[in-house]
Amino acid sequence: NLMGARLSGSYGDTQEPKTNPLVSISDEPETLYKRLSILIKGHDKAVLDSYEYFAVLAAKELGISVEKVDKPPKTIERFTLLKSVHIYKKHRVQYEMRTHYMCLELKYLTSSTAAVYLEYVQRNLPEGVAMEVKKTKIEKIPEHIRKPVWDTLPQVEETEVKS
Amino acid sequence: MAAAARALRVLPRVPSATRQLHTTPACLKTRAARVRVGKGDKLVTYEQAHPPHHIGHRKGWLSLHTGNLCGEAGAAQRAVEDAFLRRFLYGTFPGLLADEVVLKRRGNLLVICALLGRALPPHKLYFLLGYTETLLSHFYKCPVRLELQTVPARVPYKCL
Repeated sequence: NLMGARLSGSYGDTQEPKTNPLVSISDEPETLYKRLSILIKGHDKAVLDSYEYFAVLAAKELGISVEKVDKPPKTIERFTLLKSVHIYKKHRVQYEMRTHYMCLELKYLTSSTAAVYLEYVQRNLPEGVAMEVKKTKIEKIPEHIRKPVWDTLPQVEETEVKS
Repeated sequence: MAAAARALRVLPRVPSATRQLHTTPACLKTRAARVRVGKGDKLVTYEQAHPPHHIGHRKGWLSLHTGNLCGEAGAAQRAVEDAFLRRFLYGTFPGLLADEVVLKRRGNLLVICALLGRALPPHKLYFLLGYTETLLSHFYKCPVRLELQTVPARVPYKCL
């Protein structure tokens, strides 16, 4: 019984195609990325582990192939200060700051996929965590290098030099 | 009673021995951020009970930003902002802060998470929340969000 039911959007738009205002279609060829390298830095290893799980899951859901997940060793920045305000040079205090890293490498992306993935992953970046992104573009070989030079030059007849 | 209230004051200061002016970046390690053992009448929260060498092992961080990471800048500015924000909140919510304030920075957004006691009625708390958010966002030129939670009483971890 459809008497009291409101017409949903799909019934109203059968004449016009449904266009999502958030999706834009353009005719220019997309830039292709061979590798997308994301380096995550943080103080807390547990936070980095949970963020790695989240980023890998997001990549899998979007169909992006993960090349490898690397965990470079942590860097510790230490400095030694005097313990007391005035004298007592022999008694010092040491502080350190530990930075843990996590490198996520994704392969073979288009620019729109990379934009979507990076935007999602960056909006959910936890506080106290920094990210650096490196993209490796694939470009076509330029026209002037296509063929080797010795094939393009006209054939020169060999002349013997007689002394 | 007054001694216990003073002991549970939120900003633990390094006891300056005989000097009033600190000019070197030295901090007496054996007394920093530690509550000294007393007669057993001081109620201490989990945060206050653990000395700073337990940060990262038994304690978390109170202020989360990227300034102190390797290759990142802005540590000093964040430290100054944190100090100001803690004093400001200590003064805006007089006697209400149950534990230390947690500051989180996500991009431009500054999120302040505070635990309050239930001494004030809700409409006054809402006013203070709006006042803090607008004032701080105009002062620091970034969106500021204050997330408050009220607890019936301070949760003691130990009696020292």
